[in-house]
Amino acid sequence: MSLVQPAAAPEAISPLREAWIVYRRNRPAMFGTLLLAVIVAFVLYGTFLYAGDPYEIVWAPQTPPGTEASVPLGTDYLGRDMLRGLLKGGGPTLSVGAAAAIITLLIGVSLGGIAGYFGGWLDDLLMRVTEFFQVLPALLFAMVVITLFSPSPITTAIAIGVVLWPQTARLTRAEFLKIRELEYVTAARSIGARNGRIMWRVILPNALPPLIVSATLTVGVAVLFQAGLSFLGLDDPNTMSWGLMIGTNRQYVLDAWWPVTLPGVAIFLTVFAVSLVGDGLNDAFNPKLRER
Amino acid sequence: MGSIAYIARRLVYGVILLIGVLVLNFFLIHAAPGDPAETIAGAMGGATAEMMADIRAAYGLDKPLLTQLAIYLGRVAHGDFGMSYYFDQPVISLIAARVGPTVLLVLAAQLIAITLGVAMGVLAARKPQGLMSGFVAVVSTIGYAAPVFWTGILLIILFASIIPIFPVSGMTGARFSGGSAAYVVEVLYHLALPAFTLAIIFLAQYSRLSRASMIDVLGADYVRTARAKGLGEGKVVFKHALRNAVLPIITVAGIQFGNLISGALLVESVFNWPGMGRLAFDSVLRRDYPMLLGILFFAALMVVVANLLTDLSYRIADPRIRTGGR
Amino acid sequence: MAGPLLSIRDLKVEFATRNGPVTALDGISLDLMPGETLGVVGESGCGKSITALAAMGLIPDPPGRVAGGSILFDGEDITHADAARLRSLRGTEISMIFQEPMTSLNPVFTAGDQIAEAIMLHQKAGRAEAGRMAVELLRTVGIPEPERRARSYPHELSGGMRQRVMIAMAISCRPRVLIADEPTTALDVTVQAQIFDLMRDIQQEFGVAIMLISHDMGAIAEMADQVAVMYAGRVVETGSADAILDDPLHPYTRALIGCIPVLGKAAGLEGRMPPLAEIPGIVPPLHLLGRGCAFADRCPLAFDRCRAERPVLEGRPHRVACFAAEMEAA
Repeated sequence: MSLVQPAAAPEAISPLREAWIVYRRNRPAMFGTLLLAVIVAFVLYGTFLYAGDPYEIVWAPQTPPGTEASVPLGTDYLGRDMLRGLLKGGGPTLSVGAAAAIITLLIGVSLGGIAGYFGGWLDDLLMRVTEFFQVLPALLFAMVVITLFSPSPITTAIAIGVVLWPQTARLTRAEFLKIRELEYVTAARSIGARNGRIMWRVILPNALPPLIVSATLTVGVAVLFQAGLSFLGLDDPNTMSWGLMIGTNRQYVLDAWWPVTLPGVAIFLTVFAVSLVGDGLNDAFNPKLRER
Repeated sequence: MGSIAYIARRLVYGVILLIGVLVLNFFLIHAAPGDPAETIAGAMGGATAEMMADIRAAYGLDKPLLTQLAIYLGRVAHGDFGMSYYFDQPVISLIAARVGPTVLLVLAAQLIAITLGVAMGVLAARKPQGLMSGFVAVVSTIGYAAPVFWTGILLIILFASIIPIFPVSGMTGARFSGGSAAYVVEVLYHLALPAFTLAIIFLAQYSRLSRASMIDVLGADYVRTARAKGLGEGKVVFKHALRNAVLPIITVAGIQFGNLISGALLVESVFNWPGMGRLAFDSVLRRDYPMLLGILFFAALMVVVANLLTDLSYRIADPRIRTGGR
Repeated sequence: MAGPLLSIRDLKVEFATRNGPVTALDGISLDLMPGETLGVVGESGCGKSITALAAMGLIPDPPGRVAGGSILFDGEDITHADAARLRSLRGTEISMIFQEPMTSLNPVFTAGDQIAEAIMLHQKAGRAEAGRMAVELLRTVGIPEPERRARSYPHELSGGMRQRVMIAMAISCRPRVLIADEPTTALDVTVQAQIFDLMRDIQQEFGVAIMLISHDMGAIAEMADQVAVMYAGRVVETGSADAILDDPLHPYTRALIGCIPVLGKAAGLEGRMPPLAEIPGIVPPLHLLGRGCAFADRCPLAFDRCRAERPVLEGRPHRVACFAAEMEAA
């Protein structure tokens, strides 16, 4: 009857670890992670394995994929190697997407955090500013910004960040509003912590889960924006990117489908993988919402 | 009845937002590197000294910044958005010619997306694990992850070479007047592919949202009441449940207008659609700032109007907002 | 004496869950006589509402299904009637009012429209005529300014008025059976009394048989002619209201009666029923039921046999399923 040994108390699992356990069991999310890893690996290391200038004309124009061993994915309308383009073009697409997401996060979290933490007139003002930016069609606004300041990957990243931040700001504000009322915040305040410390050291870590999810999804949106802008020819024409490949080949699409289709597939898979990861993170952080 | 006061408040708010856009425009010109007069004239190289002097005088560029702003706002108030030096026409008349096709495209896409999306969502909600639910998941993925200009091009390939029933471009007759039935058919015929392409992105959202919302509503007590009355399944679903399930759709549809216009920029470029997107694209290439800023303003105007209309339709659709007075 | 209008015979209802099927109703039998009120009482989770939904043919399927037994309406077996037949019964012969009048009325239609809808459906009335009849019904259920209230939306009405609208809707086609599932639980005590008065008036005027479902023995005592006490998907005691209230045999029934707030009519308005704090424990989750009496774990009188064997309803006309009561009687 005396099994009453101090039973091994259920091991305290940190929330992050718990989220990871849920995430690991989520098949689509793991698939997305893997897919994303493969894409990033290709973009990072592909050019070492398959070196060459993507602008160089190497074979007859519009050679279909799989017909010529030296250009496995065929050539575009000028006779440039598609595979070189895809490997080289992923870099700007992914890095601009990631940089834009970081800028979005920086602007959105700062403004949203300040609005949510301080409330009052500051909150009102910042929220009006946010609404104002939401009235401007994002892509058009980004086009204007890029045109005013000369096109380059950095300009593009900034332009995308400047148009995408309002959503992050709203989310951050909502989280800060919620968390600032909690007891541990009051406790921090009662021991005399300064506002800055409470905001960024106490509240922000607790607001992270939804922000991480939103940042992930923002990467996907930013990749689409980058692709769209370079498709329109607004990005630096000397930076090979997936969107640019589609843009330059679109006129000849009825003669050759692959120069447009393949970069599109690359963009699609990237954004798809990112969204699977984002959904997976969301499920992992909110296990209760998974039923639906 | 707070309705009129409410509308008035929203109108005032919309006007303030639009003035904000103008102020932003003004500062964007001054934030750009280089002489504002050159910025305004556009990097077309051909601006004569005389032209530059005209611009300086017209915009008051030798006066203090705030005076310049006042001058700018005053001109806009008279409908003067400046000249497009590339096209050598007033910005306002160029935009006026292009607003119609863009509005048509955006509204058609919104209509398709909402109708199809809600229909798919409702069917999927009847069987949350069924085939339609799987289809909604697939469409959502495509709509979210596929770049709209790319799906547009793929549709062009499909319809130009495989099943040639819709024209893939050619809607370049810039005028949208006329009025004979044949002309309307012609326009709709050309509209089909661009509108559908643009709709795909939003179709994804609406079908997912209406599926979730419908599943919620079908579990509501008033749906049980409707069944207990002896109503047939059709009436239960399409009258009692749907009326409630579309409420969140209306809200989201309003939020999406800005994104629709962004998407329209790309779709217009793919299909050579003679709207504001094409105009914006051309002005970017020519660095035609007055034109571009005018387009930004009118796009914002469209969003503000759309938001206002959305708010009003929500008040009509949901009596709790209309009379509850929040 | 005529036979029962609504007769439930040995009804079994199961719900599919992740852990296999769970029995929600385990062979219950009830009879509702014409013009009478049958009170069905028990704590939440005991299967009262499932019984009501089963009588309406509204068990959500899947996950639920009728696994055995039958439901007879006026002698007709409607257990497996097709959807069309059930629809023609609902609203016309059997009507139902629900616990939450706020959520049970559709928020986007006016009260008048929701009543008129049933009239148009079942009585082939035109829109205008149905609208007039709806106003008359609102007058009947005691709503002031019925013309104006017919044009009101549910959120513009008070809780009591909403429940009156529900009742008006339910009686709009002169049903012979009215099932009321906790009709007053969401309402203030004073409003509760008014709604009960209204239901009694309606019963007298229309001769409708009422199945009143409640967790509140006080409400049952006030309204019912016959009473069935349910626990964990079974009927544990049934008989005339007088017999059950004056001489409760099942320990569960006694506990429920013990929960009637000692208000009498005079004790004032503190009468919101306290939760069943006096009965220790809770209704066991239905999938955890063992072989014995479901109430045994909470029962002060339970002995070995109660845990080994399940008691069945015994006696007539006052029937009880309890070994302790059996021994007491012997």
